[in-house]
Amino acid sequence: MTEWFQSLIGHGLGWFVATLILILMISLPLMLAVAMVIYGDRKIWAAMALRRGPNVVGPFGVLQSFADGLKVFLQEVIIPSAANKGLFLIAPIITFTVAQLAWAVIPFGKHMVLANINVGLLYILAISSIGVYGIIIAGWASNSKYPFYSAMRAAAQMVSYEVSIGFVLVTVVLWSGTFNLSGIVEAQRAHVFGIINGFGFNPLLFPMAVVFLISAMAETGRAPFDLTEAESELVAGYQTEYSSMVFALYWLGEYANVLLMCALNAVLFWGGWLPPIDWAPLYHIPGIVWLFIKVLAFFFVFSWVKATVPRYRYDQLMRLGWKIFLPLSLFWVFLVSGYLMITRYGV
Amino acid sequence: MIGIQHYLVVSAILFAIGVFGIFLNRKNVIIILMAIELILLSVNLNFVAFSAYLHDLVGQVFAMFVLTVAAGEAAIGLAILVIYFRGRGTIAVDDINRMKG
Amino acid sequence: MIQLIAFYLFAVMVVGSAALTIFARNPVHSVLWLILAFFNAAGLMLLAGAEFIAMLLIIVYVGAVAVLFLFVVMMLDIDFAELRSGFARYAPLGVLLIVVLAAEMIFAVGAWSAGSLALSQRIAPTPDEIPNIQALGTLIYTRYLFIFEAAGLVLLVAMIGAIVLTHRARGGVRVQNVWQQNKRRPQDAVRNINQPVGQGVEL
Repeated sequence: MTEWFQSLIGHGLGWFVATLILILMISLPLMLAVAMVIYGDRKIWAAMALRRGPNVVGPFGVLQSFADGLKVFLQEVIIPSAANKGLFLIAPIITFTVAQLAWAVIPFGKHMVLANINVGLLYILAISSIGVYGIIIAGWASNSKYPFYSAMRAAAQMVSYEVSIGFVLVTVVLWSGTFNLSGIVEAQRAHVFGIINGFGFNPLLFPMAVVFLISAMAETGRAPFDLTEAESELVAGYQTEYSSMVFALYWLGEYANVLLMCALNAVLFWGGWLPPIDWAPLYHIPGIVWLFIKVLAFFFVFSWVKATVPRYRYDQLMRLGWKIFLPLSLFWVFLVSGYLMITRYGV
Repeated sequence: MIGIQHYLVVSAILFAIGVFGIFLNRKNVIIILMAIELILLSVNLNFVAFSAYLHDLVGQVFAMFVLTVAAGEAAIGLAILVIYFRGRGTIAVDDINRMKG
Repeated sequence: MIQLIAFYLFAVMVVGSAALTIFARNPVHSVLWLILAFFNAAGLMLLAGAEFIAMLLIIVYVGAVAVLFLFVVMMLDIDFAELRSGFARYAPLGVLLIVVLAAEMIFAVGAWSAGSLALSQRIAPTPDEIPNIQALGTLIYTRYLFIFEAAGLVLLVAMIGAIVLTHRARGGVRVQNVWQQNKRRPQDAVRNINQPVGQGVEL
């Protein structure tokens, strides 16, 4: 497509227009997916609590999220008089933007990736480290005590779990030998017994897949690690002072982040757009379908955990991050590199 | 095209701003630390620009080490700041002339 | 063309946000401007082809160092108005010095001609075909291995130093001992008794 535009309106401008269209082609379906996923989340949660969940708007209530969106869109934006106005409004925009930025490097198919950069995984780490500012700034700019507590919690929580996520990513990178996400997916082709696609099926990497899944929940602030918005302690956490569309931005950003983490799980450990088994007929189904199936499966796990596991206490959260995941993943980096040294490089 | 001069000018301005920040906020240690970070950033920018200009990777390697030292410096600096504040209740630089805690 | 636009955008942003870092009245705003400056500097480095250093800059500075700064600025109850009192007094000398410094550097850059560079004497020429991050890795883990380990030691010392300096042992804190909790079995804690009617329970 880029070439077609470049032949039409010149090299630089063609690239610009084509990239703009590609960005829209990712971010608009993403927002639609977020709306549906919010509905799905509520339905799953309701089913596990023996309730019905949203069932009024549209058939089976599928249009519930759009009705909610319309509602918040028509509401008034309330800015507390003691708030730091500029930062108060910038904070949700940061969260929302950052949640979409990381999707630029996620491969949806063999050549279906917006930015096929060599440092894709580092880019994701960098972007997710910016994500925390949306919450810290909101907490500080609200000039209110519960949002501030929540911001402090969020900052410590996200920084802590980023460390173990980093080490988990190192094991994946060691095995695949590249930081490029498409390269990582390709490296998983016929990984186990020459037939099963996916690092997660490798017994040496499976524990890291579990650590990554749990860390991803902590990183996105989902239950059971949703201490940043623990309603029994902090009202609504950093979102307490937010209303209407700026609140909805947090909402959309949060679920876009959850979807991103599901996609990362799929891409890093379960073969991304590859079918689970390296068998020719399965490749007739487009790769993007496989990716979607995996993402939705992980999203179901996220909802499932949210519906069943009680919330952690803050010291338990910190203990899990620093005293269990960090030593474990550090040891695993050692283990994986040692194994690769012996088997692959023959030392 | 973007030449090395462009990068050097940007990093020179950045360096000057960093030094100016130290002069301007002589009492506020936090801003001074931030100004030092700015100075180190401009140095890094120079290293990277020359690395690209000379097609020599050593500049980038050195920039990495500068990053390491800068991170360590920030951590230690802020730790000292916190215990100083705990003891004195202020962070004004002019008061840091007594070694006794 | 796009590269040029991007360069000027990043350059203007980095200089502007650096200036606002030192001029901002509120130190929290200062830190946020500093973050923006780092972000744009990473963009400049990306344009120069140093993708690994650019990403590292964001991960290390924006992800860790700036969070540290924000924590300290937000948590310490500092009277910042008082700290700014000497602002006007120091400004003239500072301006003078900076104008001289910047002018010298920019003149030096302008008048600089590289002459004949001894390009054959480069220590580690950038390889063309392999990615930047791979080339850097090969260099760091071979030629600069000891310096790299020394950098690790610097970080270790910084970590230990920061913990030793700021750690406060608080008395009277009840800590959960997870190991002991998990080790506890029903037979150690629960006792089944056949309680006769009309007698007190022995606890």
